[in-house]
Amino acid sequence: MKKWLPPSILLAVGAIVTGMALFPAGGGDLEVEIKKAPYIMPAVHNVYADPSALNGKYYLFKARIKNTSDRTLENVRVRYRVPGYIEWTELSVIGRMFPGQSGVVACYPKFNDDITKKTTESLEKVEISIDWDGAGKSDTVEEEFSFKMMNRNEFAYSNIPGSEISGYADLYDNNDLIPCFVTPSDPVVKYYTQIVQEKVMKGEAASITQKPEDAARFMLSLYEATLLSHMVYSGTKGIPVSADDVSSLVQTLRLPREVITGNTGLCIELSCFYASVMSAAGIDPIIFLIPGHAYPGFKMQGQYYAIEATGINGEGLGGISSAEEAFQKGQKQLQEFVQMAQQGHPGYSIVDVHALNQRGVRSMALGDDTFLKQKVDKIAENFGELRTNGNERLLAAGSGNGGGGNSGGGNNSGNDGGSVASGRRTSGPLSFTVPSGWSMRQRPFPQMPVYTLLVESPDQMANAAVYDVPANSVDEAMGYLQQLFAQYGSQLQYQLNGNQLQGVTYSNAGSWVWSGVAGRGPAGIRIVAAGAGDYALQQYTPQLSSIISSIR
Amino acid sequence: MKHLRNTLFFALLSVPALLSAQNLQQKIDMNIDGLGNAAISISMTLPAQQWQMWNQNFGNNPSALKRDIERSMPGYFLEDFKLEKNDMERSFTISLAAPGICKVDKKGRWVLESDEKNAQITELAERKFMMVQSPPDLGGVQQTTMISFPQQASDIKLDKDAFGKTVFRFEMDGPSSASGILLWVGLALLVAGLSWLFFVLFR
Repeated sequence: MKKWLPPSILLAVGAIVTGMALFPAGGGDLEVEIKKAPYIMPAVHNVYADPSALNGKYYLFKARIKNTSDRTLENVRVRYRVPGYIEWTELSVIGRMFPGQSGVVACYPKFNDDITKKTTESLEKVEISIDWDGAGKSDTVEEEFSFKMMNRNEFAYSNIPGSEISGYADLYDNNDLIPCFVTPSDPVVKYYTQIVQEKVMKGEAASITQKPEDAARFMLSLYEATLLSHMVYSGTKGIPVSADDVSSLVQTLRLPREVITGNTGLCIELSCFYASVMSAAGIDPIIFLIPGHAYPGFKMQGQYYAIEATGINGEGLGGISSAEEAFQKGQKQLQEFVQMAQQGHPGYSIVDVHALNQRGVRSMALGDDTFLKQKVDKIAENFGELRTNGNERLLAAGSGNGGGGNSGGGNNSGNDGGSVASGRRTSGPLSFTVPSGWSMRQRPFPQMPVYTLLVESPDQMANAAVYDVPANSVDEAMGYLQQLFAQYGSQLQYQLNGNQLQGVTYSNAGSWVWSGVAGRGPAGIRIVAAGAGDYALQQYTPQLSSIISSIR
Repeated sequence: MKHLRNTLFFALLSVPALLSAQNLQQKIDMNIDGLGNAAISISMTLPAQQWQMWNQNFGNNPSALKRDIERSMPGYFLEDFKLEKNDMERSFTISLAAPGICKVDKKGRWVLESDEKNAQITELAERKFMMVQSPPDLGGVQQTTMISFPQQASDIKLDKDAFGKTVFRFEMDGPSSASGILLWVGLALLVAGLSWLFFVLFR
């Protein structure tokens, strides 16, 4: 054998190995795991498009990609398309994926606005393609799956698989998406709002004055408008639907524009309609959800108000409520609502439309429609009845502030009068008026027996508390409370002026600013204190002043 | 780290306002490994009343806890959940893994998102950072997050993403791949072959 042959073979092997290292074939191996949405609701298209909406809870799919090959992959591109809706779109580029490295990609699809014209349900497909620099056609990873595309009116109450449903709240897990059906920017709703403001209300300024009585007048006038247009209560389809392993109640909701022009609505549809019009008028709308029912209202200056919108019923059903009756019923329901919500009943929840808008739950996009506006014009012909006798009926909403016209009825002095306060008073010495919508709890903390009563705002950012302390003087009582609060990590500072108290309670949660009144009580000294967190003080000043000034 | 804040307070939302004012603290340790995966542990000690409520909702039903954490961090694939309770001390520790929490951007730098605008982050050591938050909407609980980057990480900088949210950017070499080893083996064979050839031909 020639002597140069073995080293030459070694040299050749070295060259081949080096070449393989420097110029590898494109081959790589990716492991892909996909989780997909069971269905897509066209009305929710703006939420799907926003990764930050509701913390990114509503995606079309998410994929975990793992590089299971032994080489680093450069520029791993993930693309997807939804044939007929979204063309091939680059979802993400992972600059480099080392062997064993994982990457997670979530898809928040931007459907075109015309998806809200979809009036039929269909089965659609998503195609996903993953490749990287140097990948050959055979290396490219391709995945696909199908999903159910609902029609624009359909609303699925939950996305949670049946096997994971553990309670009432899970069945209605999608309630936060209801504001997608609240459409203040819809040109038809705007048009209707303007007509109601002009013809029914003869002007209104609730969004400017920020007075609850003005907003209540608006809400009652809206109810009047529905009565005048002979709007009726009627049901729509609500059926259980299954998609993959998810079973949910799917309700067909008429959009607010359809409620206006169709002149009919179910409780949740009427609630979305009220919320749309009130939002268009600059009022903060709320939808109250209780088991099997929904009713609209609004929030102003930290207080909640409600109306039973289904009081319109209809000639065929009978029992048509006046605006005042519908408002009283709504307010009564609201009190029950607060009590049940405070007890933690999961079936009682609110949809704070503007708060959810801020969290990315934006209403569906709807275009202008001349035909529907003409229908609104036709309906508005009924509003002419008001010109003869309507004023008195409408102004009845203003709690007897007769003759206010469109000035907002501005002679309500203080916040304790009119419809602002609930009319409830606490009992015993140093009793006070409970603001509307606030809850009352006797002995809220059994482990703190001196804590007699807690009156609390719905959002728990303000409260009034009654303490009955076994003491002979106010100073002694306050000293007792200081010690008690210290046990809970809070520091109480106060100033006493006669029987008037002012103070701040410091804790890890921040500062609680309060003022109060002290006097003789059943156990010795009774202290009534009303306050709010420093961040909410300005918002609640009217209610807190109202409480303090009503103490007798 | 995205959405972690919202994940961790779910059990405390329903507690009475007064008790929420107590000195509650939650500690979160996030250890990043050399592949950009995170091992997360969340620990907390609760007062008696909240401990009862927490146990009622989650402590005695760890699957509900797992589901809630998964649903509040929808952007990730979470795994390896483990719950350790200490009933005597009314404390718990939840551990979980979040693969792929960091990724490499188009410029080749690693990125970890904080999902917070102007996050208050303190550098404790070269590869250790602390973030303290007291979200007012969650009862004022103080949350301390310790983020530890692996030894391989270097040049760790705080930056902002396109949405103004704070992100960590850093350099990190990946694990040595087979092609790297192959290169060194090939070069070694070349050198050996050449040396041998020279020795045979010119001795």
